[in-house]
Amino acid sequence: MGQPKSAVIRSDLDIVIARTMARDMARTLGFSAIDQARIATAVSELARNIYLYAGTGTVTCREVEKHGRKGIEIVCEDQGPGIPDIDLVMQDGYTTSRGMGMGLPGAKRLMDDFSIQSQVGVGTKIVLRKWRS
Amino acid sequence: MESLRIPILKIGDILIASIQVNLHDASAVQFKDDLLQKIHDTRAKGVIIDLTALDLVDSFIGRLVADIAAMAGLMGSRVVITGLQPAVAITLVELGLELPRVITALNLEKGLSVLQRLTAESGDGAA
Repeated sequence: MGQPKSAVIRSDLDIVIARTMARDMARTLGFSAIDQARIATAVSELARNIYLYAGTGTVTCREVEKHGRKGIEIVCEDQGPGIPDIDLVMQDGYTTSRGMGMGLPGAKRLMDDFSIQSQVGVGTKIVLRKWRS
Repeated sequence: MESLRIPILKIGDILIASIQVNLHDASAVQFKDDLLQKIHDTRAKGVIIDLTALDLVDSFIGRLVADIAAMAGLMGSRVVITGLQPAVAITLVELGLELPRVITALNLEKGLSVLQRLTAESGDGAA
């Protein structure tokens, strides 16, 4: 297993750094070109949410294995304002300000596993996984 | 940090911009402003934005492309997006961004012929 890799999100440039990091790891792990694009796009959406709504946060990628299957796990964490109503933001088309409201449901569709924990005033943690076919 | 400028070329009454870099948000917004100003300055009837080199289009860039097409349309100029890679088309649809009002073509050559047809239909583009 390779070392986990992290990117700190502080500006829009860091969004590019985070998605490039995720794509590079996905490529190293043997994901197809299309899955690499799915993973990088999901990371781009979530890293942008961190930048827009929390200001700062981190994106960490690591290799994972379950039942002999290899995959990539991406953890996006921030200590931002938190999400008061997760069901609402997981609805397609729901929008707060600059997002399209498709950041979260879109990222979920691009990945295999998606879990979100959020507490108002504490922060948000989203864990994504994709398994190699 | 100063954002990277994307070159916009003029050929006849058409503008062509090929996005070759991994765009961050500020340079994408700068591109929108530059392109609309150039449409105004050159009175271009049509614009091709070639995305062949992009291996990722997220919702921000996707929405920006749709905005550019709508804004240029308001100015009387038609926009054709060319060269979307298969992985980009797949992720855009899976994201839920099908960009229904954006005119696309397989490549630059086909984009040019689409644009010629569109601008011929709309007369001199100033109407």
